[in-house]
Amino acid sequence: MTKEMQPVTPTTPVPFPSTAIAADAAQDDAGIAKEDTAWTQRPEPTPHLDEAVDSNPTAGEPLGQGAPKMRAQDIKVFYGEKQAIRGVSIDVHEDKVTAFIGPSGCGKSTFLRCLNRMNDTIPGARVTGRIELDGQDINSPDMDVVQLRARVGMVFQKPNPFPKSIFENVAYGPRIHGLAPSKADLDTIVEKSLRRAGLWDEVKDRLTESGTALSGGQQQRLCIARAIAVDPEVILMDEPCSALDPIATAKIEELIHELRGRYAIAIVTHNMQQAARVSQRTAFFHLGELVEYGKTADIFTNPREQRTQDYITGRYG
Amino acid sequence: MSKPLIQAGPATRWSGDEMKRRVARRYAAERRFRALGLAAVLLSLAFLAFLLVTMIVRGAGGFSSTFLTASDATDPAMAGVWGALKGSMLTILVTMALAFPIGVLAAVYLEEFARRNRWNDLVEVSINNLAAVPSIIFGLLGLAVFLKVMNLPRSAPLVGGLTLALMTMPVIVIAGRNAIKAVPPSIRDAALGVGASKMQVVFHHVLPLALPGILTGTIIGMARALGETAPLLMIGMRAFIAAPPAGVTSPATVLPVQIFLWSDEVDRAFVEKTSAAIIVLLVFMLMMNGLAIYLRNKFERRW
Repeated sequence: MTKEMQPVTPTTPVPFPSTAIAADAAQDDAGIAKEDTAWTQRPEPTPHLDEAVDSNPTAGEPLGQGAPKMRAQDIKVFYGEKQAIRGVSIDVHEDKVTAFIGPSGCGKSTFLRCLNRMNDTIPGARVTGRIELDGQDINSPDMDVVQLRARVGMVFQKPNPFPKSIFENVAYGPRIHGLAPSKADLDTIVEKSLRRAGLWDEVKDRLTESGTALSGGQQQRLCIARAIAVDPEVILMDEPCSALDPIATAKIEELIHELRGRYAIAIVTHNMQQAARVSQRTAFFHLGELVEYGKTADIFTNPREQRTQDYITGRYG
Repeated sequence: MSKPLIQAGPATRWSGDEMKRRVARRYAAERRFRALGLAAVLLSLAFLAFLLVTMIVRGAGGFSSTFLTASDATDPAMAGVWGALKGSMLTILVTMALAFPIGVLAAVYLEEFARRNRWNDLVEVSINNLAAVPSIIFGLLGLAVFLKVMNLPRSAPLVGGLTLALMTMPVIVIAGRNAIKAVPPSIRDAALGVGASKMQVVFHHVLPLALPGILTGTIIGMARALGETAPLLMIGMRAFIAAPPAGVTSPATVLPVQIFLWSDEVDRAFVEKTSAAIIVLLVFMLMMNGLAIYLRNKFERRW
């Protein structure tokens, strides 16, 4: 599985906007408008998406057989009067990475947060529809929300380690769920989780140091280690790389590839190349609706919907 | 590329007289502000220095082993501050033991568990108002409830502590709520995300992070309670008491009340005693604040 970052340098040089404007302002005001339009004419991103999809041999994998790990049917979310999601149905498969893409405010993060009921914590948020985990309704009284969140872990946009030691960060989940009967078991779980998150070699000698002292990319991998320490079945990632530099992003993407198969993964991303590189399923959201959902290769190279086509070629969003 | 990226405008734009005057005005404004700020700091420090110097000059002679170990007496040579100091300690202990846990619990409940509705808004307004109620009113409340209804002993540190706890609680609740509010939501999300229950989120993560802020509020409340005189007069702590209190139910007086009583004495020798008692009260306050700051830093360093 390749993991090279595709360079995102545009094909035509784009003048740095403030430079262009400053230069024009010194000459004549009319020039600004002219240069400004040139700046907004972005290069077509399609060729890079093609490369990104090509770099991901799993992008065209056929749909998995059998029942999906999670199934959402006709999900509607309201924040007070405002409707954020307008009837979305999606399956998340066990051995697949499902990417949710779409412009800002399209509801993809909101939808993701429905899957482990994190929206319960937002005052005024109301969710209707049915979401199943292994066929069981997650909103039913039989489903304990605390256990649900242990089974469906989450990694957030901004790395949010606890201001405790690296060890304590990873050990917290197993400890509150009583997964480690002895100290030795806990040590094993912590080491295994940090190894799986690709962080062990970097932190094994300083497990007692604060988790917040790590770099941004290490913090995010620590958060992933914390999530997998409770051995979840599904991992939800809400733009996990948006606060990271390209090298840290590459490491996380590599990690997502390695975690695939062990956990069902759903990832929200703003970065279409990233969706093309890491996922097998892609869902395109727009204005609270699910516009298109299918194989990643199809979404990025041969979308059925005009709106998807327009978005991935950069016509809006 | 020989052409500079940013072409300079007309030469006068950055080097003209108008621009020079502009820059000079901005620096002058900064100098004026610094001078004003420094003056404000010096003014407040000057009053503190004046107080300390006068008290030390006047009161230094009042210190003796008798003064630090004896209680109030009609003869100034025999009068001491120990009884009042012990009374203050017992009173503040009762206040602390009640106001801190109840205040923190109330803050946690209001911030983390209570539903956001009009009832909650009403509670919030009431607590803010309660914090602003003059202390003499709390004294009257203490008199009516603790002495008349509950028949607790008059002039006792227990009743003084209860009354001061009523007064301090709203301060702790407000400080506590603000400290809890300041804990980043991302930490709550993180804990909820691994399957922590609401209680676990609050007691494992939110409260420890909010504790330094809560302690700061508590210090302010306690310092205010320690220096409080009026409500204690109302519950009978102004009596002449010649022995240090044996416990929280025996009659006692407190330092600020003792200062108030001595300042009223006719005998000139009590002037020295009053100043010495003020020094003791200030040192007691400094020690309490020092301890609280130490505790706060310790809790902050743990993370």
